Amino acid sequence: MRRVVVTGLGLVSPLGVGVEPNWARLLNGQSGVRRLPEATVSDLAVKIAGVVPDHLEDPEAGFNADRFVPVKEQRKMDRFMLLALAAAEEAVTQAGWHPKHAREQERTATVIASGVGGFPAIAAAVRTTDTRGARRLSPFTVPSFLVNLAAGHVSIRHGYKGPIGAPVTACAASVQAIGDAARMIRADEVDVAICGGAEACIDTVSLGGFLAARALSTNFNDTPAQASRPFDIARDGFVMGEGAGLLVIEELEHALARGATPIAEIVGYGTTADAYHITSGPEDGSGARRAMSNALAQAKLSPVDIQHLNAHATSTPLGDRGELAAIKATFGDRVAVSATKSATGHLLGAAGGLEAILTILALRDQIAPPTLNLENPDPASEGLDLVRGTSRPLSMEHAISNGFGFGGVNASVIFRRWR
Amino acid sequence: MSRRRVVVTGLGMVSALGNTVADTWDGIVNGKSGMAPITQFDASAFTTQFSASVKDFSVEGYYPVKDARKMDPFIQFGMVAGIQAIRDAGLEVTEEDAPRMGLSIGSGIGGIGSIEDGTHTIDTKGPRRISPFFVPGAIINMIAGNLSIMYGMQGPNIAITTACTTGTHSIGFAARMIMHGEADVMVAGGAEMATTPVGLGGFAAARALSTRNDDPKAASRPWDKDRDGFVLGDGAGVLVLEEYERAKARGAKIYAELVGFGMSGDAYHMTSPPENGAGAAASMRNAVKDAGIPVDAINYINAHGTSTQAGDRAECQAVKSIMGSAVDQVAVSSTKSMIGHLLGAAGAVEAIFSVLAIRDQVAPPTINLDNVDEDCRGVNLVPHTAQEMAIDAVLSNSFGFGGTNGSLLFRKVT
Repeated sequence: MRRVVVTGLGLVSPLGVGVEPNWARLLNGQSGVRRLPEATVSDLAVKIAGVVPDHLEDPEAGFNADRFVPVKEQRKMDRFMLLALAAAEEAVTQAGWHPKHAREQERTATVIASGVGGFPAIAAAVRTTDTRGARRLSPFTVPSFLVNLAAGHVSIRHGYKGPIGAPVTACAASVQAIGDAARMIRADEVDVAICGGAEACIDTVSLGGFLAARALSTNFNDTPAQASRPFDIARDGFVMGEGAGLLVIEELEHALARGATPIAEIVGYGTTADAYHITSGPEDGSGARRAMSNALAQAKLSPVDIQHLNAHATSTPLGDRGELAAIKATFGDRVAVSATKSATGHLLGAAGGLEAILTILALRDQIAPPTLNLENPDPASEGLDLVRGTSRPLSMEHAISNGFGFGGVNASVIFRRWR
Repeated sequence: MSRRRVVVTGLGMVSALGNTVADTWDGIVNGKSGMAPITQFDASAFTTQFSASVKDFSVEGYYPVKDARKMDPFIQFGMVAGIQAIRDAGLEVTEEDAPRMGLSIGSGIGGIGSIEDGTHTIDTKGPRRISPFFVPGAIINMIAGNLSIMYGMQGPNIAITTACTTGTHSIGFAARMIMHGEADVMVAGGAEMATTPVGLGGFAAARALSTRNDDPKAASRPWDKDRDGFVLGDGAGVLVLEEYERAKARGAKIYAELVGFGMSGDAYHMTSPPENGAGAAASMRNAVKDAGIPVDAINYINAHGTSTQAGDRAECQAVKSIMGSAVDQVAVSSTKSMIGHLLGAAGAVEAIFSVLAIRDQVAPPTINLDNVDEDCRGVNLVPHTAQEMAIDAVLSNSFGFGGTNGSLLFRKVT
């Protein structure tokens, strides 16, 4: 069996650009959720989101698109592609994977998910069509909104000529991206893959849509940092976030032979369907439980082998409860549960990539990140070990990360500490 | 564990030539064109004013019409094709089997029409007037989501989006899951409904579409000298893939075996392939290698063949380089000449045509191929009329924006 290790990480999130600044800020208890400009939200009941900070306001870790893409080219891409290129730059640099030979290029896959993709670019094109006519649309309209063009641009930039994929399974998409990529390596189709997700749809149309589906928090518009409160009794919906989280993963011997340093190993992956309801999971979280069980089975591990769990936990009343039930049924109180969306908001199709990275860092540094705003835990969490308030040093060998999405799709991935 | 075999046991389709597999296939082997002027919105201000759109479509007989109102048309097409395929396969979902049965149905673009409507609603009436079904009615994974709920299929539920390669990748990944033991049955395919103002306007702006407004039925002409772009097509194609021993044990009708799947990335340009078709060739080579059969076993190739200048030429080069001296024996055709380019559904409907070519021992034609482009000569492109021939193995190609390639290899079950 070919083993799969992680050799590079790249991250852009509401906590900033770069893996280390993100991790430091998360452990520090900072929140990336903020008030949105009035122009975006004047007519909306939601006024907040997890926005990637701009470099002008955050010189240390703000996002500067010009660093990654020439200004002229930026117009041809929706924002999620820019964020993907930025995260890819960091992950590829850390992995040191710059293949020059055809065989190496052809054995490198690019699998980058997005849940929503180019909604904002489509909305902009609608307005151009309405006000100035379809003939005034840019020739780059279609490539600017296609979901798979995040992967396309990354593969072109880095010369990765193997398979390209782009799962779009809503909020489980980037967990599936990691699972798909790991499967390709195990099946000996490729040796290396860059995988994860990118999302950027903080605009009126997407906010309005999720609001209409009653999925977003609206009770904390004046205290944005308190809005995302997974497992807390006062939670009232998720906070939309944007960003990109990408991993370079690689066959173990391939990594060692070229002198790359493994950061963690991917040992298990499982995915299932609730077959229940389009936007909510079953109360008992049975689909989520089966995803975790499948991942454990692939890893040949028992629940007692897992010490830490990064929950999907979006801060919706129903979703969190289902996951709590699933965690309880699978692990009982033996696993330390963190819900990092409390700090970043919900990055939808990029959430799985982001949280996989945070799970890997937890293993690396032997510390479980905090769940913010967890003041009064839902009674349903009784008997579970939730990491509240501040981060917690913890001896751990294996950790699991969950992602669940609209349509009733569930996915879980398990990492092993590398040493 | 040796690799598990994957066979096709059910088919479903909605296209411009008909809302079932039988109707569409009848049109295909008889060389009919599904192109017609656009009537679903006023296209008079657009440079292209026709498409290969679905006609007289209803979900009646499949699922409640009131549920369909909450779904973008691409979801409706995908669900109807999916239900047809599941019925055709005679699948039963038992409590024991449910966790081993999954879905893999994607779309290249998804609910663009719904996003357009949503944007209009927000701009004119305000965001409070947006329907709660806007998001779940527009996002791409909802065909797989809704069908999983309808049939209680609890296995892997995936949706892949790789532009015009979506359908092929969706089928290939589904087959992989069966081969590697993650599932026993996967319902796989793609759906698309992008003939909306922004979809049409966007592809027109990219100069990707034919503008032959005076003669829509002659507009899609892959490899013809006078080709001037592709024609947008709508519809869906869905296949039931099943582990061979399981299908045999339950006495299922087996159409063909999926023996190979290959992928590659051009890593070249956002919207055009390299002239020599190296990425396309790599994809085909990987599928052949995966199948472990000699290239000369391939009798028919259902080409991507979209009717664009650069794409068609690159694919011809790729076919020649892959087939070598066996190029004389293989028939290559583009069914897009008849049903247009279904983008994310193209790979799925073409996989179905590939399977039916094996069943009926007939290669579908490339219509409108009056003057073969010089670069494509020396290949049997099946001009104008279908050719009856012995067909044992078929390759189906898809290539997409972003430089993403996929190939499927089907073979008669022996």
